[in-house]
Amino acid sequence: MLKMTLSQATPNPLQLSLECTPGELHALVGPSGSGKTTALRTIAGLNNAETGSIECNGELWFEANEINGITTALSPAERSCGFLFQQYALFPHLSALENVCIPLYNSAPEPGKRKAQAGQWLNRMGIGELANRMPSQLSGGQQQRVALARALARSPKVLLLDEPFSAVDAPTRQGLYKTLAELRKDLNIPILLVTHDLREADLLADRITVIDQGVGLQTAAPQVLFERPRNSRVAELVGINNKFEGVFTAGKLTWNSCNQVFDVLDKGKIPPNTPVAWVIPADGISLHTKPSSSSIEADVEQISALGQIAVIQLLLNNATHTLTWEASAAEVKRLELEVGKNTHVQIDGSKIHIMPLRTINDPRRFTS
Amino acid sequence: MDTDAILLSLKLAMWTLVLILPFGVWVAHRLQKAGKSKSWIEAALALPLVLPPTVLGYYLLVGLGGKSFFGIPLVFSFAGILIASLIVNLPFAIQPIQRAFEAINPEIIEAAQVSGLSNWQIFRLIELPLAWRGITSAAVLTFAHTLGEFGVILMVGGAIPGETKTVSIAIYDRVQSFDTAGAGVLSLILLGTSLIAIAISYGVFGRQPSRSKERGI
Repeated sequence: MLKMTLSQATPNPLQLSLECTPGELHALVGPSGSGKTTALRTIAGLNNAETGSIECNGELWFEANEINGITTALSPAERSCGFLFQQYALFPHLSALENVCIPLYNSAPEPGKRKAQAGQWLNRMGIGELANRMPSQLSGGQQQRVALARALARSPKVLLLDEPFSAVDAPTRQGLYKTLAELRKDLNIPILLVTHDLREADLLADRITVIDQGVGLQTAAPQVLFERPRNSRVAELVGINNKFEGVFTAGKLTWNSCNQVFDVLDKGKIPPNTPVAWVIPADGISLHTKPSSSSIEADVEQISALGQIAVIQLLLNNATHTLTWEASAAEVKRLELEVGKNTHVQIDGSKIHIMPLRTINDPRRFTS
Repeated sequence: MDTDAILLSLKLAMWTLVLILPFGVWVAHRLQKAGKSKSWIEAALALPLVLPPTVLGYYLLVGLGGKSFFGIPLVFSFAGILIASLIVNLPFAIQPIQRAFEAINPEIIEAAQVSGLSNWQIFRLIELPLAWRGITSAAVLTFAHTLGEFGVILMVGGAIPGETKTVSIAIYDRVQSFDTAGAGVLSLILLGTSLIAIAISYGVFGRQPSRSKERGI
C-alpha cells in the first residue's frame, strides 16, 4: 500500500494526498503543468516536498514537517520504485538487454545470472529477439517495452508511469495497454499512472485523482468522477459538456437566465440561495417530438455524425444555453432530427448533480 | 639533431596527460553540481587561455622559485615545467569534459538513480562512457598543446638540455643562432610527431569505451 500526503509552495505548488493499494492502477489526471509529474517524481525521491510523508508497505520513505524540515528522505535507489519516463530515458550506450541488466546490477552480482533475468523480462515484454539492439535501433514502442522491462526488473514496490503512452502511435498504444493490463494481474503492486488523456485513465484506472495547479481536487472511480464531479472545475477538467450554473434553495434548482426550476436531491449541505454549478449526464436527457409540462423547447443547432453515434447540439429557445446530447443514428432517425428543427428536451432532475462553483484561479476552494 | 628535446617534449606531454586527465574528469564532474561559485571557478580555470604566457610564466616563476609551495625550488627543473604545463593545460583538459557531462540528459541519470545504482556506479557505468568523446577531445588537445607550448615553459624552465629544453625551445634556439635548416628539421619532426600523436590519441580514445562485457554489465 502506498500512502502519501505532500505539500509544497515552490517551485511547483503541490497539495496532494492519495492512497494506492496493491494491484490498483491509480491515474493522476490534469492539464499540463498541473503537478502530476512533480508528484510522481517526489514519490520516486527525485524531488522532495516541503512537508508531508510517503509510506510504502509500512516503510517510511519520506517525512518532513514545518518545524523540523526533512526528517526522513530515502534516496531514489533505496525506495525501490519502477519509474517509466515519458521519453523512456534508456541508456543510449547500452543494448536493450544491458539496459534491463542495470537495475539488477546490485541484486544479481553474477553477470550471467543478471543477463538471464534481464532476458526473461524482455521475453515477457515480447521483445526477446531485440536484446542486442541499441536503443537508437528500436522503434518508439519497442523502446517503451525495454523501459518497462527495466522499470520492473528490480521487482519494485511501486510502479510509476509518467505519461507512458503519449509518444507512441495508436496501434502501439493498444498493445501496450494490453501488456499493462496483463502485468497488473501478476505484479500486485500499486501502480500510479500520470496522464492528461481522460479516455486512457477511464480505460485503465481503478481510481482517478484529478489534479489542478498542484492541488488534488477529487479522487474517485472513473464512473463516479464523470457522473458526480466534486466541483465545477473538476467537471471542466473531466470534459463534461453539459455544465451550467444556477441557484439552489432547499431541493429546488433554478437555472440561471432561464425560468426552468428542477427538483433535485437535497443532501442538506448547501445553504439556501447558493449559486451552484450543475451537470447532467447523458442518460438524464431525453428528446421528444411533442411538448410536455416540464420539457424545454430547443432547436437543433448542429449534428455531428461519428459512425453509429451522433453528437447533437441543441440551442434552448428561452435562453442562450447550448446542450450537448449523444444518440445513436437510429434514435436520430426516429426523432427525425435535422439542423434547424424544433424539438423538446426533457431533463431528469433526479440525475442532476449540483456542486459548488469554483474558478481556476481559486484552486483551494472547496477542496474538502 | 635535438633528440633529447624531442624525447623531453613527449615525456612532458605524456606526464601532463596522465596527471591532468583524472583531475579534469573529477573537476568537470564536480562543476556540474557547483552552485553560485561555478562562474568564478570556471573563470579561474579558463585564465590560462587568456593570460599572456609571460604573465602566467612570471607568476609561476615567482611561485615555484625560492622554496616554492612545495618547500623546494622547482624552477629550471622538469618538475617545474610539468607543474607549469599542468596549469597551462587546465582549460584544455576540463572544458571538453565538462561540456560532455553537461550534454547528458538529466533523465538518464535519474533513470540510473531509480534503477538502484549508487553515485559511483552511475559515474562508472553511465556518465563516464557517455562523456567518452569529451574525454578524448580533452586528451588530444592537452597532448598536442603540451608538445607546442613555448612561452610559459621558457619562463619557468629556461633551456637546460635534457631537463627543460623542449623541442619548441630547441627550435627557437636554432633560429636565434641562424640555423634555419636545423630549425626546419625540428619543426617538421614536431609537426609529424603531433600528427602521429593526435592520430594515435584518436585511435586509442576515439573508439567507444569497452562494451558491457568488459565492464561487467
